[in-house]
Amino acid sequence: MKEITLDVLRDAANRLMFDMSEEEYQTLLQEFDVLKKQMEMIGKIEGLENYAPMTFPFPCEVSYLREDVAEEPLKKEDALRNAGSKQDGQIKLPKVVG
Amino acid sequence: MSYLDLSIREIHEALVNGETTPLELTKEAVARAKANKENAFETICEKEALEFASSLTEVEKDNVFYGIPYIAKDNFSTKDIETTASSNILKGYVPLFDATVITKLKAAKAVMIGKSTLDELAMGGTGTTGHLGTTYNPYDPEHKRMVGGSSCGSAASTAASIVPFALGSDTGDSVRKPASLAGLVGLKPTWGRISRFGLFPFAPSLDHVGYFTRNVEDSALLLGLLSGRDDKDSTSSFKPVEKYEEKIGESIEGVRIACIKEIDESITDPALLKKYKVSIDALRKQGAIVESVEFGKDLLDSIYATYIVISCAEATSNNANLDGIKFGPNYGGKTYQDVMMTARTKGFSELIKRRFVIGSFALMRENQDVLFLRAQKNRAKIVEKTNEILSKYDFVLTPAAPGVAPLFGAKSDKLSDEYLIADNHLAIGNFSGLPSITLPLGLEDGLPLGINIMGRAFEEKELFKVASAFENITGLKGLSVINKKEGNL
Repeated sequence: MKEITLDVLRDAANRLMFDMSEEEYQTLLQEFDVLKKQMEMIGKIEGLENYAPMTFPFPCEVSYLREDVAEEPLKKEDALRNAGSKQDGQIKLPKVVG
Repeated sequence: MSYLDLSIREIHEALVNGETTPLELTKEAVARAKANKENAFETICEKEALEFASSLTEVEKDNVFYGIPYIAKDNFSTKDIETTASSNILKGYVPLFDATVITKLKAAKAVMIGKSTLDELAMGGTGTTGHLGTTYNPYDPEHKRMVGGSSCGSAASTAASIVPFALGSDTGDSVRKPASLAGLVGLKPTWGRISRFGLFPFAPSLDHVGYFTRNVEDSALLLGLLSGRDDKDSTSSFKPVEKYEEKIGESIEGVRIACIKEIDESITDPALLKKYKVSIDALRKQGAIVESVEFGKDLLDSIYATYIVISCAEATSNNANLDGIKFGPNYGGKTYQDVMMTARTKGFSELIKRRFVIGSFALMRENQDVLFLRAQKNRAKIVEKTNEILSKYDFVLTPAAPGVAPLFGAKSDKLSDEYLIADNHLAIGNFSGLPSITLPLGLEDGLPLGINIMGRAFEEKELFKVASAFENITGLKGLSVINKKEGNL
């Protein structure tokens, strides 16, 4: 396991596109003291190399094509209703390219 | 006594007999919701509910949900009604569609009177982290005790008899634990039994739609209404929907029930232990075979870490869309990264951020094998052990929580058996996807204690049969803050 430092935690937060206050990082660092011990309990379980990672409780294979039924698309005003910033019928963003 | 204090079937009979109307029921439910002191509501939909109830003038005799008021946790999408998941980042978000369960309830002409509070984004178990603050346990008028979470408002409002049932969601124990602390019947059915379309995802491999009722029959009736394949949720099951109430009242003679030795040993509350033992004796008197089996302490100790690693890791990706662009307030910025950073930094509470960081940490390349993949493998081992027990027994019976509702601020040793096992074992039901129901066991100093029964996949009908027998043993059918009972144990 990667060593847990303030920089590692800051990196983990920034990868998810948010930041925390210094005090919050300190709280988290302390929380990791216990969390690390809890996580080590998974390390104690023997024979896990014989198990495949479980991603769903049951297999849920869906192998069919839905009927090709025409549906009313979302209206433009509805699509924009929850956007925080919009202009000329589009979601407005800061410049991304160039 | 009001009609709202009765069971769904009893209210239905009163409607059919013309003793009350959907409008009267709705008005009273709204009045009770407005008078609620437990901070159980994000929104009370007074206008919409009264309008809908006014349109219900011809009682449908074969539809027990006709005109019945209910509440939905605020992480179910409700068309044209603000849905925040108790998070500031979704303040003002008004969905364009209904969740499938809301559609089904609307089609059955049940009346949604409000949206209930939750731990922010359903990530928490205390009922203290929603953006409107703490939700309280209605059994403690001094508001010193938690009702649990994350489905805190739905539990508090069903226990307070505002409605006969309320929707919740359950990723670790978010229906079944608060059900225990609030003296309710709380069901998490088999994974895939109820469509999750429109439920805000937290950790989809563990998320279930669940709900609270005040008796077992209501729980069975509701499952019949909400179950079924939904093409909008590819994980929903094609298995036919059954009449889940059909076996209620049947004998439990010969039913095989396993208690987990290490879970029982992790309980220290003497009142809980005593009532639990008496209930087991009573099950035996009815002909059930109840035996203690070993699960493996190391495996049980590892449940919490397995849950936290998997759920936090899944949550990081599922909440990536809360970015201040598509959802959430846009505070501006020179780049889109600035917009996202500001919206997410301001929009999420500290607890949510900490959980996300745990998830992000578990997914770092250096940690994936030792944390995330190892947790997923351990999940497989826990599920294998559970299914092994259920190949020899029909049900697993456990205390649902370590005791009565905890006091706010009470310290617990996060490495103790009481925390790691007694307080977290219900996640086995989420790992395995097996149906799991919490029931009231008794009261201690006026506060509820609960037990949990878990059965085999898609065998809810059998689960309701044994749950109903247990309900008769405790004498706590219909328990609420208004309809207080001592119980038999």
